[in-house]
Amino acid sequence: MKPLHISLESTKLENGLRVVVSPDRTAPVATVGVYYNIGFRLEPRGRSGFAHLFEHMMFQGSEHAGKMMHIKLINSSGGVLNGSTHYDVTNYYESIPSNALERVLWLEADRMRALKVDDENLRNQRDVVKEEVRVNVLNQPYGGFPWLDLPPVAFRNWPNAHNFYGDFADLDAATLDDVQQFFRTYYSPSNAVLLMIGDVTPEEGFALARRHFGSVPAGPPQPVADVREGPLDGLRRGEVEEKFGTLPAFAVGYRAPERRTQDWYAAAMLDQALHGGRAGRVYHQLVLEKQIAVDTGGGIQYPVGDLFDYNGPTLLVSRVLYKPEYNSEQTLTAYDAVIDAVRQHGIERDELEQVKVKFRSEYVSSLEGGHGGSIPRYGLMHYMACFTLFDNDPALVNSILDGFLQVTPEQVRSAAERYLDPERRAIVFRRPSKKGAA
Amino acid sequence: MAIAATADPFAPDPIAKVPELAAERPVVWPARTHRKLANGLEVVLVESHTIPKFTGELYIRSGNANVAKTAPGLAEITATVVRTGTEARSSRQIEEDLRRMGADIGTSAGADTSAISFNGLTEFSSDLLKLVAELAQQASFPQDEFERERRQMIEGLRIERTTPSFLANERFRRILFGAHPYATIAPTEAQVNEYRLAQLPEFYRAHYRPGDALFIAVGDFSAPQMMEQIDRIFGSWKPAEVPPAASAALPELRGRHVHLVHLPGAVQAQVLLGNHAITRKHPDWLRLALANSLYGGAFNSRLIMNIREQKGYTYSPRSGVHALRQHGYFSVHAAVRNEVVAATLTEMFYELDRMRALPVGEDELSDARNYLSGVFSLGLATQDGLAGQLSNVYLNQLPEDYLETFRQRIRALTAADVLTAARKYFDSPNDVIVVVGDREQIADQAKLFGPVTEYDAESI
Repeated sequence: MKPLHISLESTKLENGLRVVVSPDRTAPVATVGVYYNIGFRLEPRGRSGFAHLFEHMMFQGSEHAGKMMHIKLINSSGGVLNGSTHYDVTNYYESIPSNALERVLWLEADRMRALKVDDENLRNQRDVVKEEVRVNVLNQPYGGFPWLDLPPVAFRNWPNAHNFYGDFADLDAATLDDVQQFFRTYYSPSNAVLLMIGDVTPEEGFALARRHFGSVPAGPPQPVADVREGPLDGLRRGEVEEKFGTLPAFAVGYRAPERRTQDWYAAAMLDQALHGGRAGRVYHQLVLEKQIAVDTGGGIQYPVGDLFDYNGPTLLVSRVLYKPEYNSEQTLTAYDAVIDAVRQHGIERDELEQVKVKFRSEYVSSLEGGHGGSIPRYGLMHYMACFTLFDNDPALVNSILDGFLQVTPEQVRSAAERYLDPERRAIVFRRPSKKGAA
Repeated sequence: MAIAATADPFAPDPIAKVPELAAERPVVWPARTHRKLANGLEVVLVESHTIPKFTGELYIRSGNANVAKTAPGLAEITATVVRTGTEARSSRQIEEDLRRMGADIGTSAGADTSAISFNGLTEFSSDLLKLVAELAQQASFPQDEFERERRQMIEGLRIERTTPSFLANERFRRILFGAHPYATIAPTEAQVNEYRLAQLPEFYRAHYRPGDALFIAVGDFSAPQMMEQIDRIFGSWKPAEVPPAASAALPELRGRHVHLVHLPGAVQAQVLLGNHAITRKHPDWLRLALANSLYGGAFNSRLIMNIREQKGYTYSPRSGVHALRQHGYFSVHAAVRNEVVAATLTEMFYELDRMRALPVGEDELSDARNYLSGVFSLGLATQDGLAGQLSNVYLNQLPEDYLETFRQRIRALTAADVLTAARKYFDSPNDVIVVVGDREQIADQAKLFGPVTEYDAESI
């Protein structure tokens, strides 16, 4: 295999905005993203769900582009747009025919400069967000499981432990002042990175960035937040009622290693060995062999994030939906047998080799595509943004793979022993309130 | 807020004006290699060297519609069990081999097709193709794998019967298609329990045949070499006559009727409405696609601006045109808070009727044409995007130059085309209306729109 060599160049404007351009002439299209180094972890207390509500407000109007103009201008240029809120970043992105590149940068610069929204916009998007929470969480089987269920059990520090989608009372309490305050605090060029990927050269990209973003005021430095979290020093259990789904389920969360440490690389291989598809040990043992479970999954930040897009305390998660004729104890015992085996014996050398090939393959796919091909290079954009904001080094996107491919079986075993401790984890049980049809 | 760059209100403001679009760069679709092997297997290959991988589909042009009368869902469980064993490999072996190649395989069946999808690293392409060929020809259908997958399917169905969007689609398709095989999107638990193992290899031997199959691959390979490989690996696949798909007349649907699926405890209502439309081969397809895009198919569309951005009823409303092989349909859906079910239906119909009554203005029309044409070209940039475009063309047997001429055909469409399509295919006076939610919360609103029939999640 050849080492990855994705072409990219980066620079920094005087106002602190970092700019990354990755040229690729495959097609006359480009993907543009602006990432802000703020996510739902740091939303204000008493304002759970606010970072995400705020993300919606960024589509409601800016200095020179009123309500609906962002959407109209991108769609009518032949492009698509969206935004998403994560633990530690929030992104706004567009995929467009490349002749609309300057228009997109103008729009993004306009909303970095000033947000122009009113109470009516806030009321409207608060209603939209509540329906989003209902359709994804409150009115769905296994909604929010376990990404909203585990943190309050596993963590003690509010930024890490609260309801990231938002309690409705908190959403109702949000004011226009909160919106502008949050904007002033976090949405400044020095807290952001602009990315352009596709049919654009670095010279063109940098010139356009300077033209449109150069005059955006730098803004104050961001407040330092305390997101420290003590160790997960015991067995913490929680219960959540499952209103719709017919199967009982549980999710287990272990504290994940710090990013870019030796244990982190090893934990990623361990995770692939445990949760990687139907060959993964958890699925293979619980679903295919013992046939106790119906579905399993897992990973770092599973299922709403991944290995690369967080920058604070996080969890390595397993999720198990099991058959109603088994009880939680039996199922947990079967799951623990899988965990005990890797803690004691690690994984086989051949298994590790397989896992590495699979990891490498999935990594390059995620760089190329994302969102079912509708946002070309979404993954490349996403990872370069995180490597810029967290590590100040977008080129890590090329070199990071090496660290995973050098992991040894002993390092995997050692990471398993240290991190997958049955006495130091959080478990949340989802119990169906009504019995299945059987 | 004071902003340095715009502090002087009389100075010309370079940032106040939306930049014009630059000159368009040419969109060039890659060359296709399109051939039939001696055994009848149709092969379409496209090179795309974005990453050292390749992706594709082996389509079998038979699916659940072929067995809807005898064993609903049989094509699906057949596809599922196909990946659990071959004459040469056990289930575990298959999964480990895939991991060793850095590959994924998916086996599935819809109404009209069954598919083995694959993607993997180019360095292992020959091994992966051999596995795909093995699954297509030598699946062994082990008894224990079948029993496990049957149970998995039942548990999956039980959960689907608690999912509002599934319940809405299921009811909608039943009403829209009546006695036609397309009426069934999923089997009942009893039907799954009635499957016998022998039915799976029977369906497999009858339908998994090269003359009825389509192989599409896109990726980092040399097309001539890939074609040689495919000829070598799939050339010995034995052809046979494949039984035709079942069909039946569609029900005549007159007037609006409401079908209310009661989901106790629901905190939101799933609204779905629509009517019969056309297939992708129909000459009106692009007219309808454009009308749909204006109505509710894009973020910037009328319905979304109305019920989301102005009224805040819902997060993700959408309309769509759905093409199956024999028939197509148009539908609109939104998940809304319980109090605004009637208001949502009112706005959905208002926007449909506006599309049917009045020609769309030139600016709005031009924006929508640009949208469809631009978004189409985004598919060029990724292997998955290209594979999706090719599947559309070749699975539906569209003209060979479909991709190349798509944008110019969209640009030639007029306001009259949109009006014609809306009048023909937005059949608002005769729409099927489905609402899934808690009866206590929504029944009074639902009945304002037509006679109501009630169901629960288990109703057939």
